[in-house]
Amino acid sequence: MNHYLTYIALSVGVLIIAVLAIGSLSSLEIVLFAGILASILLYLVFKAQAASRQVEELHRLQAAYDQLDQQAKLVIRTDLELHRIQEELDRRLASLMSLHQLGRQLQVSLQPDEVYAKLDASVVTNFGFSTGLLGLCASMETVEWRSLVGVNPDAADRIKRHLESQQLLKELLTHPLPMLLDESRASSPAQQELLRLLGMPSAVVAGILPHSGPTGCLVLGRTGGRGTNPKADEELVAILANQLASAVENSALYEETWGSKRELERKVQVRTRELAEANAALVQLNKSKSDFVSAVSHELRTPLAAIKGYASLLYSGQFGKLSAPQAERIAKIEKHADLLTQLITNLLDIARIESGRITMEHQVIPVGEFFPVVHDLVHPQMDAKHLRYQVDTDGVKELVGDPQHLQRVFVNLLSNAVKYTPDGGVIRVGLKRENGSVIATVSDTGCGIPPDDVPKLFQEFYRANDPINQQVRGTGLGLALVKRIVEAHHGKIAVASEHGKGSTFTVTLPAA
Amino acid sequence: MKADAFRAGKEAAERALAQGAFANARLALVFGSSWFDQSALLQGVRRVLGEVPLAGESTAGEITAEGPASHSCVVVLISARTASWGLGVGDAVDRQPRDAGHQAAHAAMQQLRITPRNGFLVFGDGLVTSYAEVVRGFQEILGTGALIVGGMAGDDGRFASTSQYADDRVLHRSVIGVLFGGAVRMGASSHHGFAPISKPRRITRAKANILYELDGQPAAAVYREYFGSEAVDRMQRDGLTRQGIAYPLGIQAESGKEWWLRNVVSFGQDGSLACSGEVPEQAWLQLMIGSRDLALEAARHAAQQAIRSLNHISCVLVFDSVVRRTLLGAQQAAQEIVQIRQTIGLSVPIGGCYTYGEQVPSESESIVNRTAVQTSSVLVVAIGT
Repeated sequence: MNHYLTYIALSVGVLIIAVLAIGSLSSLEIVLFAGILASILLYLVFKAQAASRQVEELHRLQAAYDQLDQQAKLVIRTDLELHRIQEELDRRLASLMSLHQLGRQLQVSLQPDEVYAKLDASVVTNFGFSTGLLGLCASMETVEWRSLVGVNPDAADRIKRHLESQQLLKELLTHPLPMLLDESRASSPAQQELLRLLGMPSAVVAGILPHSGPTGCLVLGRTGGRGTNPKADEELVAILANQLASAVENSALYEETWGSKRELERKVQVRTRELAEANAALVQLNKSKSDFVSAVSHELRTPLAAIKGYASLLYSGQFGKLSAPQAERIAKIEKHADLLTQLITNLLDIARIESGRITMEHQVIPVGEFFPVVHDLVHPQMDAKHLRYQVDTDGVKELVGDPQHLQRVFVNLLSNAVKYTPDGGVIRVGLKRENGSVIATVSDTGCGIPPDDVPKLFQEFYRANDPINQQVRGTGLGLALVKRIVEAHHGKIAVASEHGKGSTFTVTLPAA
Repeated sequence: MKADAFRAGKEAAERALAQGAFANARLALVFGSSWFDQSALLQGVRRVLGEVPLAGESTAGEITAEGPASHSCVVVLISARTASWGLGVGDAVDRQPRDAGHQAAHAAMQQLRITPRNGFLVFGDGLVTSYAEVVRGFQEILGTGALIVGGMAGDDGRFASTSQYADDRVLHRSVIGVLFGGAVRMGASSHHGFAPISKPRRITRAKANILYELDGQPAAAVYREYFGSEAVDRMQRDGLTRQGIAYPLGIQAESGKEWWLRNVVSFGQDGSLACSGEVPEQAWLQLMIGSRDLALEAARHAAQQAIRSLNHISCVLVFDSVVRRTLLGAQQAAQEIVQIRQTIGLSVPIGGCYTYGEQVPSESESIVNRTAVQTSSVLVVAIGT
């Protein structure tokens, strides 16, 4: 409309000028002028119409522009909501990731103190908080901070005193779930003061509550408000507190187990040391015993030789003819003197072997020569009982050791076999090579050894409680000496016996 | 915390040293998490590097060759063979910004007596909003030839206190400048990747960083028109959130091709908006919108342009807005660093931090002396020959 008025005003102006000018013009000039005037007026009318269309167009553009701006507002608000959800999701994701990582770290925390040092800045920020305090509570009234994030020590100390003095600590240690504190919501003056000391408008506080009882507390402060989903925050912090509580419990259990193990190890070490000392004392005692036996035996041999000598002289009749009872008594003296001499010899040998005064020779002994000699020594006794004697060398050609002492071993074993095998029985000697050793067995078909006697068989002066032993005198040192000689060869001896069926003695000797 | 800080500083310095054989004299640029005890952090760095010149700042996150990091420390070493420098400190940047600029630039010039002066790398308190004045102070001393770029210190999103490092000192409310000269050259470029979404509004009343009126209406009322009252109330209550920073204010440069971004940092009782940088009266203002794709593209462009004038690149510094890290999210933020590294070359040492503001080079003739205060952008600075 304004444009029309402009063009009308212009047209009127042009007409006024034309009227004023017409009076001084010729007819031709008037026609020419009128033509020009008409053209101008037509042009102005045309322009006025074009301007009108442009204005309408401009209005349409303006409206479209405003519509676009309105749409932009809608886009922004929709996008804003998406951002809000995305932000919330990102935060939850970061919290969960942090929980996961923390869980892995806590799994390897071996002491409760270590657990309380795990709250660091990344955990606090990933949970969407700005400050964090984690403390150890020795009782319901005291807390000692172990981790501080975004809080200086002075402020932490003020918060500690406030928690302890205002029953707040007791409240959160007896509260099963985290508590949300917000300065914009109604809460107790003590809670409001805690927020003031934290310098935060909102916070979440939680107790670390393992099954064994409250052990600590967690305070997390946030610069912003309560967040869009305080319930979810509460649940996340509850999970965190539970995770810490489990870790505290596990580490305490570990510490207890570890402590018990260490105590057990210590006790084992003490007992081992005591046993080693006792063993050393026994070794020393045994040596003293051997030395004593050795010394006493030496001292006994000389008078015994004299007794035996004089008994022989008496028996030979050099000092006058003996009556039959006298000769019988003198013969008993000789017999017992022989037994005593054998006993003393065996005792001396055992003592010498134990004290290391006898060194076993290391000779190759041909089997073909060795066992016939041994057999010769027991042959009369075998024959007297009509025993069969069998040797199976299984291709073993030689033994390695001290010929004299090994001879005593097998003579002893064969003598025992003869003693316990009834008339007409069988005695077998077997040899075989196995894993770098020669295994020799002496078996009989005798009465066997009672099971109770088997473990004690190689003890000194032990004699099995059987009828034969009651009839036959022995020193009780034969098998003890055999064992010592075999062990001095770095070998071992064992016995297997079945009552009523016989016994087998097995001697294992190094083959080289 | 002290022990952690010392260890973090020491390990970062050891890593930096292990990356190359450096000559005796070198410059250490340090970016440390604000969660650490700052003095202990520097002690850890200096335990390894000795009494080397040191400049740096606390961060809102750190940038390493491996990607974005938090609660860590990054050390970048610049060898004396490749660079000559002077280091200056300006105090009380919040109260006397122009004087602080004079002070820092003058001290740096005193140390670097050679010409030409090719670049001024700036670290400043990210909570201060008067960097346009500080830059004027720099330029009154250095002239308009030197490129002035840098990033403003952060404090991991707490907006309470940031730190600046100069040798063994931890400073606040200060600005640190490192003036490079001689053979060393500096290339820098910044992009933000935000595009206008609202219709332009004329800034009819503003002073410094406070925006009072748009088209004659209270600025906060216009802001509410777009965001809705509920969202604005939430922003006022919760502080700077992703929702707020996703839509920075864009001030159109006179060329019409660039927008200087400002975040709204607080709401005034009188309906005004406090912004993260200066707001010029009579300029056109639009609300901007960003997307992850545009943000990644901006990083690639910035890296391309930063290195294009250099023959040899010694190292690259990245100052990336904390806004962008939040906008991008963890995965895309890591992708951003990968893109920058792929552009500059994977063998080039890289370090940097997430900032509260960027001092960026401008292509606009209308921006005084080729430098402008920016937010929500990524600044890539290449140092070389």
